[in-house]
Amino acid sequence: MTVLLPLLLALGAAPVVLVAGVLGARPAAWASIVMAALACGATLWGRWAGGGALDVAWAPSWGLRLTFALDGLAVLYALLATGIGVAVLLYSARYLPLHLEHQGRPARDAIRFYALIVLFMGAMVGLVMAQDLLLIFVFWDLTAIASYYLIGYDRHKAESRAAALMALLVTGISAVLLLIGLLLLQALYGTFALPAIVERATPGPAQTLAAGLIAAGALVKSAQVPAHFWLPRAMAAPTPVSAYLHSAAMVAAGVFLLGRIYPLLRLSPFLLDLLLVVGLLSMIFGSVLALTRDVLKQILAYSTIAQYGYVVVMLSLGTSAGVVGAAFYVIAHALAKSALFLTAGTVTEVTGEDRLSRLGGQWRGLPVLAAASGVAAAGLGALPLTIGFFKDELFFKAALERGWPFAALATLGAALTLAYVWHFWSGIFLGPLRGEAGRPPLPLVAPIVALGLLVAVGGVAVAPAADLAEAAGRVAFADLQPVEPAYHLDARPENLLALATYALAATIIAARPRWFRLAAATARLGERVGPERWYAAGLVRLNRSSRALLALEVRDLRSRIATVLVPTAVLVAIGLWATPTEGAFRVGRITVTDLPTVLGLLLAAVGALVATVPRRPLTLILALSSVGYSLAAVFAFLGAPDVALVAVLIETILTLLFLGVLALFPAELLKDQAVGPAPRPSLRWRNVGVGLGAGAFAFAVGWATLSQPAAQESVAVQHIRLTPAAHAKDVVTAILADFRGLDTMGEITVIAIALLGIAALLGRRERPMASDERRATSDERASGEEKRRREGR
Amino acid sequence: MLVLPLAIVWLAAVPLALLDGRRRWVGWLAVAALGAGFLAMLRLAVAVFARGPVELVAGGWPAEVGITLRADALGVTFAVLSIGVLLAALAYETLGGVHERALPALVLFLATGLTGLFLTGDAFNFYVFFEIAMTSSFVLAGYGRRTRELRAALIFTVVNLLGSTLFLSGIAALYHVTGTLDMRGIATWAGVADQNSVLLIATIIFVAFGIKVGLFPFHFWLPPVYRDTWPAVAAILSGALANIGSYGLIRFGADLLPRELRFAAPALLILGAASVLYGALQAVAVRTASEALAYSAISNAGYILIALGIGGPAGYAAAILFAVVNSLNKTVLFLAAGLRGWLVSAAFAIGAFSVAGVPPSAGFFGKAALFRGGIAPDDPALSVALVALLFVGGALAFVYMFQIYQRDFWEREGAGQTSGIGSRILVLGLAGLVVAFGVWPEPLLAVSQQAAGVLNGGRP
Repeated sequence: MTVLLPLLLALGAAPVVLVAGVLGARPAAWASIVMAALACGATLWGRWAGGGALDVAWAPSWGLRLTFALDGLAVLYALLATGIGVAVLLYSARYLPLHLEHQGRPARDAIRFYALIVLFMGAMVGLVMAQDLLLIFVFWDLTAIASYYLIGYDRHKAESRAAALMALLVTGISAVLLLIGLLLLQALYGTFALPAIVERATPGPAQTLAAGLIAAGALVKSAQVPAHFWLPRAMAAPTPVSAYLHSAAMVAAGVFLLGRIYPLLRLSPFLLDLLLVVGLLSMIFGSVLALTRDVLKQILAYSTIAQYGYVVVMLSLGTSAGVVGAAFYVIAHALAKSALFLTAGTVTEVTGEDRLSRLGGQWRGLPVLAAASGVAAAGLGALPLTIGFFKDELFFKAALERGWPFAALATLGAALTLAYVWHFWSGIFLGPLRGEAGRPPLPLVAPIVALGLLVAVGGVAVAPAADLAEAAGRVAFADLQPVEPAYHLDARPENLLALATYALAATIIAARPRWFRLAAATARLGERVGPERWYAAGLVRLNRSSRALLALEVRDLRSRIATVLVPTAVLVAIGLWATPTEGAFRVGRITVTDLPTVLGLLLAAVGALVATVPRRPLTLILALSSVGYSLAAVFAFLGAPDVALVAVLIETILTLLFLGVLALFPAELLKDQAVGPAPRPSLRWRNVGVGLGAGAFAFAVGWATLSQPAAQESVAVQHIRLTPAAHAKDVVTAILADFRGLDTMGEITVIAIALLGIAALLGRRERPMASDERRATSDERASGEEKRRREGR
Repeated sequence: MLVLPLAIVWLAAVPLALLDGRRRWVGWLAVAALGAGFLAMLRLAVAVFARGPVELVAGGWPAEVGITLRADALGVTFAVLSIGVLLAALAYETLGGVHERALPALVLFLATGLTGLFLTGDAFNFYVFFEIAMTSSFVLAGYGRRTRELRAALIFTVVNLLGSTLFLSGIAALYHVTGTLDMRGIATWAGVADQNSVLLIATIIFVAFGIKVGLFPFHFWLPPVYRDTWPAVAAILSGALANIGSYGLIRFGADLLPRELRFAAPALLILGAASVLYGALQAVAVRTASEALAYSAISNAGYILIALGIGGPAGYAAAILFAVVNSLNKTVLFLAAGLRGWLVSAAFAIGAFSVAGVPPSAGFFGKAALFRGGIAPDDPALSVALVALLFVGGALAFVYMFQIYQRDFWEREGAGQTSGIGSRILVLGLAGLVVAFGVWPEPLLAVSQQAAGVLNGGRP
């Protein structure tokens, strides 16, 4: 129950919102807020009640189970997803109508938005509680789907569409790595249940590979270098989406997963070192690029990359302090970052500006906002009296455990963070006034104030957040050493590092003109040769090579047939080459009595060859029919007069039919065919080649088959024996009418269908024209396509 | 019970051929008859899954003398699937307005052919029903009867007749080598016959079915046909008729000629890989949804071949699962591609996610089964190559499905006239089925495992 309630509330939110949407956009907004709040409350209650677990069979054939547990890690991330969700949804309830109004879209469009946000929330809650690997993946991709639609919410804008596609391709395709990792673990340990796998796992190359693949998927989701580029692009989404996805949900899912599989990661020091490198790179690159950005949301986007870099670094230090610190860091970051995103949204909404260079001095018009976001910024920058101070305290502590070089890097990262946070906040609110500000509506400020308050409260009463983080850490380290973040007024290394950070940050801020060029040049270099360029170039190249390949497709009927015959000949040749042919091909003895048969076969062969020569249709038909008659003669000689009779009959009908059809053709067409320009020699040779190949494979198959005696007594013997029982005078009648009567009925049906088809073709002119209108649009598109292609050739 | 589904559709098709299908009531009558056939088929399937195969010899003759009808787990799976697809497509067309008198009868004849060929245990009888199905679809391909559809129908007919000829030669050759037409007898005797001749025969049978599913390099007929035929017809061709190819490859390969299948596994893997990559690459740059779906079908045919090449119970189960899922996906997508309106956009998106293998959709389990098959081989190099191939193919599927989805449904949102609500709800309902199987995959997984279990080569 403790598990089920939050889960059901979170997953049920999207349908509830859609139902409420029937009444209109406002009820949908309220429904989303209420559902998120309820889910948040239920999670808190579940934690208070001591967590719990749920385990139901899902797909026994694959040993899949619906296993959910509300452990420490799940509580932490579920609270973030639902709690920040409430704040963001409150904000959206006012923001989105304005957003839609600016774009001239109907208010009802908002319903989809609310539904998608709570769908995302539900997917997150499911993800963090799931204990079955495949279940984890299902929710993982569900977040990708929701984010795809949220990022592409303004789908009339090309920028949004491209950003949504990029996010989907990058996170969706990398998720497949995760899937491969999961399936590999299943293959190794025979189960999808994560707790069981953790128990059974032993270090080894396969285990490292599996954990590495999972980690790779997680890192891409957390926008770590070099797969970070989708995140800044995703800022094309409406601001509440950015606030939610890039603080508490989407990006957090990546580090959550690292935490979830931490016991597996820990088995391989190599993997942890790899993570460390990725985390450090993200931290430094993200921070430096954030310092150079001008657009508000871009600063925050690069900041997110950097901040999750910290979390990855902490996790990869491999100590329990690092794991707890990472969990704590996620809480502090989510609160501060969502507040800052929402600040950016409000400022842009009231001033109409989204760039630092056009903003400044806004504290005069927006004092409350300035204060609230100032607290949040201080939290992100790790100043004392905010929850952020402790995140850095834990960070330094964990880094120190690993050695001084890491502490130095941590200090550098923290200083860079403080510097860009200052760059962001002071750029908006301090300095000379730039940008006209209206009065912001209350709902666009209140959530920020609430989040700011949480950041400040966390700076005084740190225990609740610390408890959450510690409980989360216990999932990775059962024998956890408690960490107690607190203020210590002494010269312990953590404090000294904090002071060093402030000093370094002040220097960086003061020396901005000196390093700015260099940083901007780095950013430009990154844009020019960085991974985003690879993505774009890759996509363009893919489309180009696809077009080139499309041009190679054969488009005429003759080639379509040739492309069946030639590969068949090749396959048969390979088959011949691959199997022992000794004794497989036999030539029987030919006696004088066989001469008529041989003669008939020769005639047929000559007829077939002759048929390739004439260009006059009439000659062609006669040559072809001579093949048929020769074969009929062969059957007659082989002692099958009834087959011969049927063959003669069919051949006669066919020849007459062909002649009749010829008579209907316009005379000029036939003449053109007969005396017009000859086909190109290359085409002729190709035709000869294809014909010879087809003949060769048919010959090979026929010979190989006929060289074999039947493996047993043929069923024909029984047919003959049972003919009297079928009350038939001869075996053919018995077979056709009785033994295989079903086949005969089937063949009659085939004739009926063919007649239906002929009737339909003949009735073509009487067809009502209205039918064409239905597909007119797609038809035009296709015919335009056809035309282009013809012109291209 | 075995005869009932076949009898219902066959007997209903004949009088319907005489009625004018353009009348609404005739259309609904055909839907009702097909629905009844579907229910009878479903009942048979439930019985088969619960109690094992059902068998009977036509005319009460001894086995091998008469024609054996045999419903086993594999056959009924494909039969239920194909008849279901036909039912959906016929209902779709009836909702939108039929404009050719023969359409309902043709769909029922096609259903007759498909039911028969999935339920028969006799190789030549298989060919007869195959011909019924093919002939009806030749006529169906021209549905619409503008130059465009007729041209597609001509290509379709000519190339597939060639395939039929190859198949018939293969059956005749098998008869010569084994002396029987009964599938069980063929399986017994082909296993002891000379390897060379059986392999060559298997090759041409393989080509015949390869043409049917649209495997590279036998696929060249497929793109213009899927592109230019009517949406409901394209859905029928890709969702129901192509099942003949998948079923044929599985039945004739894994059940009748398992020795040859194992022997040819490297060739199957190479051809499958070529098909996967070729189709997916082509699909990236095309401009219409139906053409992208056509190339996607080529790519997905490759997956089935790869699963067969991997072999073993897991490989065959994966092949069956993927074939079923793929048929559902293509039906939803082709039907949705012919409509406009927001319910349709959702249905197309669900289909697209399913093709890309994103949960919660049936396609996810198809993809996961393939990956599991790819991980399974003992040879790590082969395993890595297979997984890499599946990864690349899947990545390309993301690209081509969502490029075309965004172009057709986001960029051109609101363009074109919204289609009738009935057809839109039908398509969304089908898409709902894809999601339902993604949320509760047990039926699909159990069915595919049980169906793989009836194969001679699929027993553990």
